[in-house]
Amino acid sequence: MSEAHDHGLPPKSSVSRWFLTTNHKDIGVLYLVTALFFLVFGGLLALLFRLELITPGADLLGSLGYNQAVSTHGLLMVFWFISPFAFGFANYVVPLQIGADDLAFPRLNALSYWLYLFSGVLMGVSFFQGSTFAGGWTMYAPLNTPAYIPGEGLGATSVVLALIMFTAAVTLGSVNFLTTMYRMRAEGLRMRDIPIFSLSINLTVWMMLFAFAALLAALMILTSDHILGTTYFQFANDGSTLATDADNPGASLLWAHLFWFFGHPEVYIVFFPALGVMAECFQTFTGRRLVGRKWFIISMVLVAIQSFAVWMHHMFLTGINLPIKTIFMATTIGISLPFDLMVFSLIYTMAKGRVRFTTPFLFSLGALILFIVGGITGVFLGAIVLDYQFRGTYWVVAHFHYVMVSGATALFGGLYYWYPKITGKMYDETLGKIHFATYFVGFNLLYFPMFVAWETPRRVFEYSQDLQIWHSMATVGGFILGASMLIMFYNLFVSLWRGEDVGDNPWAYATTAEWAVSSPPPLENFPGVPTYADGSLSFMDDEEVARRTSGPGGSGVAADGGTAADGGTASVTTAATATPATPAHEAAGEEHASHASFWPFLVSLGGFVAFLGLSGVRTGSVVYVSMAAVGGLVTVGSLFGMTREPFHAPEMPIAERWPFASVEKMKLGMWTFLASDIVLFGAFIGSYAFVRVAYGWSEWHHDLIPAEHVTMPGLINTYLLLTSSFLVVLAMVAAERESKKGTTAALAGTFALGVGFLINKGIEWNHLFHISTEMFPNGWNLSTNIASSTFYLTTGLHGAHVTIGLLICAYMTYRAWTGAYQGDDRAIEYFGLYWHFVDIVWLFLFPLFYIL
Amino acid sequence: MDWKGYTVIYVVLFVFATAQAVVEFVGIVDSAYWLAFGIIMVLSVVKAVGVAAYYQHLRWEPRAVTYLVLGGTVAALALTAAAAYSIV
Amino acid sequence: MVPHAAIGVPLHGGDVRAPADVFNSIFEVFLVLGTAVGVLVVTYTLYHAIKYRETAGEDPYADKVERPSMGEMPTGGSGGRKVFYSFGISAIIVVSLIAWTYSSLAYVEDGPQIAGEEDITVQVEGFRFGWAFIYPNGHEASTLKVPRNRVVRLEVTSRDVFHNFGIPELRVKADAIPGQTTDAWFTASETGTYQAKCYELCGSGHSVMVAPVEVMPQDEYQSWYAGTNGTQNGSSNQTAASVGGAPA
Repeated sequence: MSEAHDHGLPPKSSVSRWFLTTNHKDIGVLYLVTALFFLVFGGLLALLFRLELITPGADLLGSLGYNQAVSTHGLLMVFWFISPFAFGFANYVVPLQIGADDLAFPRLNALSYWLYLFSGVLMGVSFFQGSTFAGGWTMYAPLNTPAYIPGEGLGATSVVLALIMFTAAVTLGSVNFLTTMYRMRAEGLRMRDIPIFSLSINLTVWMMLFAFAALLAALMILTSDHILGTTYFQFANDGSTLATDADNPGASLLWAHLFWFFGHPEVYIVFFPALGVMAECFQTFTGRRLVGRKWFIISMVLVAIQSFAVWMHHMFLTGINLPIKTIFMATTIGISLPFDLMVFSLIYTMAKGRVRFTTPFLFSLGALILFIVGGITGVFLGAIVLDYQFRGTYWVVAHFHYVMVSGATALFGGLYYWYPKITGKMYDETLGKIHFATYFVGFNLLYFPMFVAWETPRRVFEYSQDLQIWHSMATVGGFILGASMLIMFYNLFVSLWRGEDVGDNPWAYATTAEWAVSSPPPLENFPGVPTYADGSLSFMDDEEVARRTSGPGGSGVAADGGTAADGGTASVTTAATATPATPAHEAAGEEHASHASFWPFLVSLGGFVAFLGLSGVRTGSVVYVSMAAVGGLVTVGSLFGMTREPFHAPEMPIAERWPFASVEKMKLGMWTFLASDIVLFGAFIGSYAFVRVAYGWSEWHHDLIPAEHVTMPGLINTYLLLTSSFLVVLAMVAAERESKKGTTAALAGTFALGVGFLINKGIEWNHLFHISTEMFPNGWNLSTNIASSTFYLTTGLHGAHVTIGLLICAYMTYRAWTGAYQGDDRAIEYFGLYWHFVDIVWLFLFPLFYIL
Repeated sequence: MDWKGYTVIYVVLFVFATAQAVVEFVGIVDSAYWLAFGIIMVLSVVKAVGVAAYYQHLRWEPRAVTYLVLGGTVAALALTAAAAYSIV
Repeated sequence: MVPHAAIGVPLHGGDVRAPADVFNSIFEVFLVLGTAVGVLVVTYTLYHAIKYRETAGEDPYADKVERPSMGEMPTGGSGGRKVFYSFGISAIIVVSLIAWTYSSLAYVEDGPQIAGEEDITVQVEGFRFGWAFIYPNGHEASTLKVPRNRVVRLEVTSRDVFHNFGIPELRVKADAIPGQTTDAWFTASETGTYQAKCYELCGSGHSVMVAPVEVMPQDEYQSWYAGTNGTQNGSSNQTAASVGGAPA
């Protein structure tokens, strides 16, 4: 039936399908399976060090082995297990719940997945490069820099690069989900009307978009410190080790700020999807609608916004001033209150319900109880006076495991909940309940004793003898928890064959759209275009869609459906796609939607090889250098192939699109991406401002920057970029007027000016590298001091943006020359959005790095 | 917007960029640093808003796109300002 | 310092509220209240789950609530008022608890100002993997020796990576950050030997990065401190420099 051959997608039994697929349901399954693999990976590491902790002393792993195990356990669980696990459900369920047939950019979705998988593989490879990262999952500076990493430190560099790759996957995913949710909702579904799980994902991706951009900045800077030799995270770079001689007194705190600015939203990024699953399971298995739903949603929105203003509560002891501590204490308490409301909302949803203790509900209820304990113990940490003493102890460890792993608990509930939908089979309920019972006992036996033994410092293998009983108990609990997961794996695996077939909906009182279609759903998800226009779900057939879309604006031009800007009305938009080679007039052309592409896999494979190579380039080894080169070529080549590939992802003919009704999906995707890029550059500029303030804003210029660093090259480059931006808009004007010559000339001019920018920069840098003055006898290069590091890296990141823009510009110039874009300037406009953004960034870099 | 409008914007941007450099060349950066800092940053912000509003067409997009951009900007500024303030 | 010591420094006699007392009293309140609230809320949750479990036969609440149906537009259920009451109560508890502790924060931050008493200031420098204590006269030691019933102020920093200096029994803790100095204070009313530990992962020796802390009677301390005068570069300095020297 749905496995039709005309999609170019092999059947599920074929291995090649899983490399080719761009369908959101397939990718959801891939995410789930991969995330569970990393759960086992991170879990085994945890069992290793729990075994170590059964008695004091590092007699099993050795001290460095122990540090590696705790560090990678944290990284794997936080990054490679829990969020991707949630995004397995998000991929599978969100399009179904909101009435979309796929994500907005299916190939980017596949690319996200493969980048995620290969980033995890790179993480795994790091174990075999001498030793992997051993500085804790918080990666505090300067322990995260090569100077303090034992051996060559290539494994540690690999871990940082793997995180960058993971962040790339997350950013693509965020852009994709946001575009999908704002452009592809079934008619009648306002944002507040979408099911609670989808809403939780929406808020999660908003947080991801901004938070991971800050992490990306931190990781890029760290990579640069590892590979290029900048000195952001080194407090003294003249070889002295005394604190008082620090050249860069802000080094350690810079990392802490960047990391926690990401790190605190990350807590909610991890927990929100779980909250969504809990709310979904509570509604279904109590037979009640979520009580106080409106306030539940408002609470989540408040938390999502405020999550960016609580990060310094991780830094109360760092010597930050009292006013800022007070502010962050207040915001921290403030952010805990919405969770109280959400908890009570869930509790009262059970009232007057018909509660059925199925496995998914047991896990959801269990998660709620664990979260209550985690929340209460978190209030302890909000009191600064107590926090001072809990800092760096097992109180923190126990608290955040009660929160994070309660999230995982809810997600396991989600796995049972959607398993029948995904597989079409029912799991074994008895085994499910046994799993829950062992899981819950194991969990509490593992983490509760940590509260009792809270005086133990974090990440140590030595602890006082009188605490041994508690640590031994925890170890036993850890093994019970681990064993309980085996029951789940067995149950879900065997049920694939032995499970009873389920129909569309095995759960009484389930209401969301994924249960209205077969299990598993067909490739196109719905029998027609879904709509909630008359208050509940129904499907429009082709005839009705054709009738509704045949009005003005339905005729091939990308009409924007105009009037729908303030919500309520659905807009009518014809298809406009990512690929210029595809005809833009296939409204309702779901039959022609593409579902297969091999390029995302290849791009990611290339990226993996390139990053693995990069991890070792500083050794100068031929193997590493050539891997970096070959990998880079494969990546660029496959990206080019992906651009050339005809791939059709039609927009829904009728959909709810508030508040972006008139913003076509490519444009919305571009703007969303740029918003995260703003945070990336913002974090770079913020890092510069921070280390400069720490050093002394005024002394900085005098002490650290040579007189040869003059304004003129920066001014010339400002002129070049401004002019190139002007030419891009002229190219748009020319394309509108269908002047092929004008379009080509303007784009070629843009290209030439961009190249001129880079050449000018090259000359300037070369000059500064080789100056020889009294103050800087050996030139002013990346490693000279913190000012040179910030200058070269920040303007270098900008230069990299220019270079990427030039590659696209060159391609577009060629296409314009062969006659593209005439009468349809959208592609030029989208490129322009990027190029102007790069221009705007320079408008700030120029004064900050050349004048002030 | 037609090419004339774009050209006006371009001229304004060009002049403002030059003005920033002039602030340095006439020595205000040395004599009154924070005044110069203020002038130069305001000029940068005005230029950025000009490019975003006209070249990136934010003026003609739904306000939601502007809010999206402002969201990123506010997040970055919050990080910068609060972090710098915390160690003052 | 020394002449002052010769005439005898007035002590606070143990009537200063030590950070440990502040912590312990607040922690106790939080533990009692936290446990009570936790037990209450979890019981309440379980009560709801069990009371409203599905029973055979008719839906007993059929006339009171409407059950959700497939494909309906998501909306909220009835009963929101109770959510607000419960939320209000929990918010009051949390906010007042934190506000109450905030009054102690200024004290824990700045320490007591005692007329006539002179605080002892010791610089603490962390290095991989140990602690160096530097006294006002320049004496450097690997053991922190302090008199009882005196306010001891610490200026904490690091020579290499991010550490955290803490003496758990005395409830004093501060991050040791290269390039930064953080302040903390404590006072001990019981003589004896305590242990300082590192609370931030700093490398292979993190688990064993400890230092002894000796709280001594006032006169013993005075004579010990007077004796350190000529030995500014004690043997511990040597070890500290060699261990903390070049990064690995």
